[in-house]
Amino acid sequence: MSYVTLPYPFEPVEAPPEYRGKPEIDPKKCIGCGACSRACPPDAIRVEDDLVSGVRRIILDVSRCIRCARCEEVCPTGAIKLTREFELATPSKEDLLQIVEMRLARCSICGKYVGRTVRQIEKAKAVLSPLPRDRLEELLRVMTLCEDCRKRRVAQALQGVPTALLKVWGEVHG
Amino acid sequence: MGKETISVDYVEKELREALGKLVLETRRVADNQLIVVVPRSEVAEVAKRILERFREFEAHLSTHVATDERLINGHFVATYWISVNAERGDVWIGIRAYVPPSDSKVPSLTPQYPGANWYEREARDLLGIEPVGHPDPRRLVVPDDLPKNFHPLRKEVKYYEKVFTEPSFEFKKPRKYEIVVPFGPYHVALDEPAHFRLYVKGEEIVDVDYRGFYNHRGIEKLAESRLTYNQIPFIAERICGICGFTHSTAYCQAVETAAKIEVPDRARYIRTIMLEIERIHSHLLWIGVACHLVGFDTGFMHAWRIRERIMWLAERLSGNRKTYGMNLVGGVRRDILEYRKKLILDALRELRKEYKQFVDMLVSTKTFIKRCEGVGVLPRDKAQAYGTVGPTARGSGRRIDVRKDHPYAAYKELDFRVPVYSEGDVLARAMVRIEEVLESIWIIEQALDKLPGGHLLADVLEVPPHQEALGYTEAPRGENVHYVRTGHYNRVYRWRVRASTYNNLPAVPEMLRGYTVADAPLIIASIDPCYSCTERVVIIDVRSGEKRVLSEEEFNALSRKSRGLGR
Amino acid sequence: MAKRRIRSLWVFHLNTGACNGCDIEVLDVLTPFYDVERFGIKLVGSPRHADALLVTGPLTRQSYYAVKRTYEAMPPEPRMVVAVGTCACSGGIFYDSYAVHGGIDKLLPVHMYIPGCPPRPEEILFGIAQLLNIVEKRVRAKVVKVESPKPEVDPCERLWLDLREELRKVVGYFDRDRILSEFKEMVLEAYRSALPFRKLEALVEDYCKSVDDPRLCFCARYLYAKLRELVERYSREGYIVEDLLREAAWRRSGGLSL
Repeated sequence: MSYVTLPYPFEPVEAPPEYRGKPEIDPKKCIGCGACSRACPPDAIRVEDDLVSGVRRIILDVSRCIRCARCEEVCPTGAIKLTREFELATPSKEDLLQIVEMRLARCSICGKYVGRTVRQIEKAKAVLSPLPRDRLEELLRVMTLCEDCRKRRVAQALQGVPTALLKVWGEVHG
Repeated sequence: MGKETISVDYVEKELREALGKLVLETRRVADNQLIVVVPRSEVAEVAKRILERFREFEAHLSTHVATDERLINGHFVATYWISVNAERGDVWIGIRAYVPPSDSKVPSLTPQYPGANWYEREARDLLGIEPVGHPDPRRLVVPDDLPKNFHPLRKEVKYYEKVFTEPSFEFKKPRKYEIVVPFGPYHVALDEPAHFRLYVKGEEIVDVDYRGFYNHRGIEKLAESRLTYNQIPFIAERICGICGFTHSTAYCQAVETAAKIEVPDRARYIRTIMLEIERIHSHLLWIGVACHLVGFDTGFMHAWRIRERIMWLAERLSGNRKTYGMNLVGGVRRDILEYRKKLILDALRELRKEYKQFVDMLVSTKTFIKRCEGVGVLPRDKAQAYGTVGPTARGSGRRIDVRKDHPYAAYKELDFRVPVYSEGDVLARAMVRIEEVLESIWIIEQALDKLPGGHLLADVLEVPPHQEALGYTEAPRGENVHYVRTGHYNRVYRWRVRASTYNNLPAVPEMLRGYTVADAPLIIASIDPCYSCTERVVIIDVRSGEKRVLSEEEFNALSRKSRGLGR
Repeated sequence: MAKRRIRSLWVFHLNTGACNGCDIEVLDVLTPFYDVERFGIKLVGSPRHADALLVTGPLTRQSYYAVKRTYEAMPPEPRMVVAVGTCACSGGIFYDSYAVHGGIDKLLPVHMYIPGCPPRPEEILFGIAQLLNIVEKRVRAKVVKVESPKPEVDPCERLWLDLREELRKVVGYFDRDRILSEFKEMVLEAYRSALPFRKLEALVEDYCKSVDDPRLCFCARYLYAKLRELVERYSREGYIVEDLLREAAWRRSGGLSL
């Protein structure tokens, strides 16, 4: 029998391409919808909204992550992916955080910050843009309402919306 | 063996005739699952009669489910689930009693059937259903610092609610001439924490007291409050890091049966392949540990070297070596593409070659054989009386295997042999596992060959509330049973996990009696105990054949040793 | 922290409620392929002999008291604590249960966090090698402020999203993006021709001949059928995706149509 012991860590190794390693958010693709946070079994991804300064923070805590890749599965934009990175050991837990911040949108009626990001709205527009103009405008108005104004308006306006939109919107996850 | 088989219809008819007015109601929750509602005062008696009536069908108490249904019908519910095995009929019988909260007591089955011991104590700890006449009503599952009448699974309790009190637990008092040897909770021979107290006379262990459940993590409560249907498979996998996939499969199958979701064929086959991969790695792990326990560390190293190939394969198929993350309600999440198929076949070809070499070496190693032969004998009748499952049961001549008796996933369409040995000693249990590895390789090869096309995942639109069903798998250690009652808001109402070690542990005192302390670690390890799955408290009384509780302490002690961390 | 010179580190393994996954991987690093004893690591039988604790699992309430006593039994120096696995680092999926305190850092100071569920043997080796100053840490916290209001957008976003979701149920989340992007190429290629569906059908068949995998063929044909179905369904809603596809195809080919 020959010698089998691997030279790691004196020589580098790569995890196989199928490996589920450290998750990473690609800020170019992320729209801040929070689908990952709702799907995450250990709540390793949190979404925090600061409605005063108008910032949404997506906080990924790799020290809590169980690497199930449910976030990757439900992400509508392919922004979060489990990389092959596995050399994560660190003396300080803060190293294991990834925080992505983005602007929140304002309510189209009262002007208060709402629990949707500007990027979410832009993405929604892209999904919707081929729709007839009047329908599109109506939907956009409804989508940028704060909770209070939304409650009043949403029920009648959102009827019959395409599933793909709801996905971008974080209403459908599964 | 007579091959008369029975059906659910037959059982229903016969029970109605035999029990007469005791049957208040019968309910079919699935094609093979029948619930019989009986008066609360009769539940233990009826369970005992059914266990006796179907003894020749290898029936045993498979699980016990206590549920807080006060919000639905004003009662607690206790159900004893009995399975019919040995390919004598795919039947699960649930004997159910409704327990009023004002007087939450049920007669205990434990005095007549020792296998019910833990089940009833757990129901008391978690829900406050008092088993009347239980010989050892001490705390089993919940931490010592939890107040006495705080029952976490009651619906009014929040899953994150942490209430503390002074920790206390009463151990047995040593009798005359007995010396207490405390063992654990952290001990070199234990891989997982547990506290044993060995009561010894000279070298001989005469009694054991155990406080385990150091691994109680509140999984069932988390599942019914914080987690959604599709998050639970991932916590189910983390019940046990060795046989996690059988747990997530059992859970998914329970929900699928309850919600009548048809799983695509391809998903059934992929589950089968992953389950068998898991069995191979678990058995190789066990063989290595057994080698270590008999002082044959070369065997340990070789077994684990061979096993590594399977770990690498699992990583390439699923993305992780242990927690495969493949199951969702309705199917699986990753496909077996052509190149992965080749990876599997290559790995299996190598494995078969290396494994055969290894086994030849192992069975011709006298020290290994001599240490295992004739040690820790569990006679067939005892194996059934305790409801042992898996290789522990098959080493004692019980011809039971969930894959044959209650076919799930793709097992009905595949050909395989179930090795059974009648000697009942450690060697028999080892041989069952050794042969099962080769059967598993054969199963995977067939499944790959027959792998159907089509979808991986069924469309799951909505899970109807308040449906119930069992899901079951043959884990490497034996039968795993999960019960699910569906709920609202994308969440289960109740999820009850019963891992195989839960049924096997109580039989260990039987195996220990008459053997020396030096054999104890090996004997305990021979059932391949898994504490994180089981995590219950037990007491073993190794004294003469009197009725007793389990000896989980020894289990733990031994198992930890067996896990190889004991140096 | 001043760099310590540690030679042979004696460790005591402490399971505070783990699922066994990490424990088995800890064992695994002792076996031939990883052989942690190369670094002078030795598993010892008593905390009294241990330089370091290797902790696995969330800290359960029942194990809390025993862990405390184990730690007190260790020699006062260096008393290192290594949290192996996500649960020991933070409590993992069990973090807020009634029976669990959380990660081991709720009770003890931790010198090395090795997250992973379970960590690969190499991951554990990496953590231990770091403790021994053989390697340097690789991870850093990342805070990104996304100022641009415009995310990457494809004009046919809705179509791709719907196909992507369909593909998840056929081939799973992991392989779908690769397969979909290959299919996308074929679609854009096809929409440069006057009869896109006929062209696409031919492209799909060519693709099936070129890949030696019946599953990939199945996916490509499935996507083709779904695409036809969706195009029709969309047009009934007044969403003419074919125009957008043609435009995208045209732009892709540098404006040189046909």
